[in-house]
Amino acid sequence: MVKIQSMTFGYGKRPLFEGLDLRLEPGTVFGLLGLNGAGKTSLLKLLAGALSPQSGSISVFDAEPRRREAAFLADTVFVPEDPWLPAIKPSAWLERYAVFRPAFNRKAFLELAHEFALDEDKLLTRYSYGQRKKFALAAALSSGSRLILLDEPTNGLDIPSKSQFRRALASSAEADRIIVVSTHQVRDLERLIDPAVIVHGGKILFSLGSEMMAARLGSGHVRELGPDVVYAEKDRVGYSVLLKRSSDNTGSGEIQTADLELVFNAAIAAPRRLEAALRGESLRPLDPADAAQAADAVRTADQAPSGAAKDYAEEASK
Amino acid sequence: MTNATLNKTFSFERLALLVRNRALEDFPSVAIVAGILAGINLLSILIAGKAVMNDPDGQSWIFAISLAGLILAGSAFKGMHDGRSGTDWLLLPATSLEKYAAALVSYLILLPVAAAIGATGLSAILSLIELIAGGQGGRILNPIQAFGVKGWIDFATGALVLAAGSATFRKRALIKTLGIVIVTVLVASGLLFVAFIGVRGIQGLPVPFVRMSDGGWNINGDMSMKASPALDVLLGIVRYAFVPLFALLYGYFRVAEKEARDEVQ
Repeated sequence: MVKIQSMTFGYGKRPLFEGLDLRLEPGTVFGLLGLNGAGKTSLLKLLAGALSPQSGSISVFDAEPRRREAAFLADTVFVPEDPWLPAIKPSAWLERYAVFRPAFNRKAFLELAHEFALDEDKLLTRYSYGQRKKFALAAALSSGSRLILLDEPTNGLDIPSKSQFRRALASSAEADRIIVVSTHQVRDLERLIDPAVIVHGGKILFSLGSEMMAARLGSGHVRELGPDVVYAEKDRVGYSVLLKRSSDNTGSGEIQTADLELVFNAAIAAPRRLEAALRGESLRPLDPADAAQAADAVRTADQAPSGAAKDYAEEASK
Repeated sequence: MTNATLNKTFSFERLALLVRNRALEDFPSVAIVAGILAGINLLSILIAGKAVMNDPDGQSWIFAISLAGLILAGSAFKGMHDGRSGTDWLLLPATSLEKYAAALVSYLILLPVAAAIGATGLSAILSLIELIAGGQGGRILNPIQAFGVKGWIDFATGALVLAAGSATFRKRALIKTLGIVIVTVLVASGLLFVAFIGVRGIQGLPVPFVRMSDGGWNINGDMSMKASPALDVLLGIVRYAFVPLFALLYGYFRVAEKEARDEVQ
């Protein structure tokens, strides 16, 4: 199990996390969602032991990552967004680096490498960005580690590779393993990640399990904003909406599984509305001006994570 | 490697793997340097009938080996600071102590030994070529005699200092470390000089200093011996105990405390 308690971390004087608490149970694929600069990569690095918290504690299967003990490092694998690989061939990489991980499954690696169509006669430094990514993902999923940390794993992958990766990830999600995936491309992985952990303003804003989301939230497309709309994004013919599920979702068209991208945007722009919807409370009807303001808040928040979105969230919840 | 090995605080198996990896990584550049040296010597046989590095005391070879070792030690932890490779370096499943020890074993022991063996072989081949070419066949390198224990200790001290510099500085570690060493030596010498005058007065200065003050600049290697036995002991302690020990510990703590902050995402 991964346990973060009252953890504070920042770069220079800027705190990124203040008193962060988080608990991750084995057997799950956690989706770490957040705006640019929210600290997703830093959080993964903190869990991997590449960074040390300024205060508080992190425990990964009873080990302290900051100590970087060999057993912990072999039990954890981190794939950065742009993986670095040495100037050697895959077979040499296996001989030189995989040997540090006793649980490394060479057969699984070779199968994945074959599935990803990785060239075994090419130097790893001559691989394209996507190929490097596939190599690093194949290595991580074959590592035998109980904690797998993947930073934007689908960035740079072509469409067939994304499907292959999803299959590989699904088959790697074992009962004793924790997989944490940080991603902007929520649609690439939304059927795999459960729960979705939303990081914003230095804390965990929401941890949303798929069952809870399925029971309380839905998505749809409407021409007019009706009741139970949590968040809406205007398009040419109406609105893509995140809805609170209720017995009388009339006039909302066909309600589908909650779109994770809308859930994320709602969490950033209108966290209290989303929280109320998850609790099953009734919502103040959303008018078109509110919807436009919320969408703007998400866009602005991307540039100033704790600015506009926070203001809008407070305003909208009044 | 087994799970039992994995739980050890220090594993010689992991150390051996790390040393092997370093050797494999450094081999191409060392081989290129060896090739260049061989080429220069062959050229000198062709031009002057004599291998230029096969000098009687073998100091040319020792200089080349030391220089290569010092340069490699001075960039021993370059990968650790790199924005992209650094994270991989830190998260490779081995302890910081093993990673640090692997660099020291590689550049303080393995490289000088392997390079000395290689240089002896090369020296012998060049000598043979020289003979075949009608020359006298210069002297074959005897690395033990040429290097000696004191030579190795001096080399190891320098390598330790440069490795500590490499663990500290992200860029231009070699130049920055050399700069710090030069400034430290100059400042320490100045302070020592002032302290000496304070204790003994200008008349008490050892002969080389007096000559310096007369504008003679006749400094020789025996200065510290002539200065005072106590000063000699003090300088010996600083040079052969304090400096290596400080560099050893400082370098280790820099490695152990290193974080992947160079690439903030």
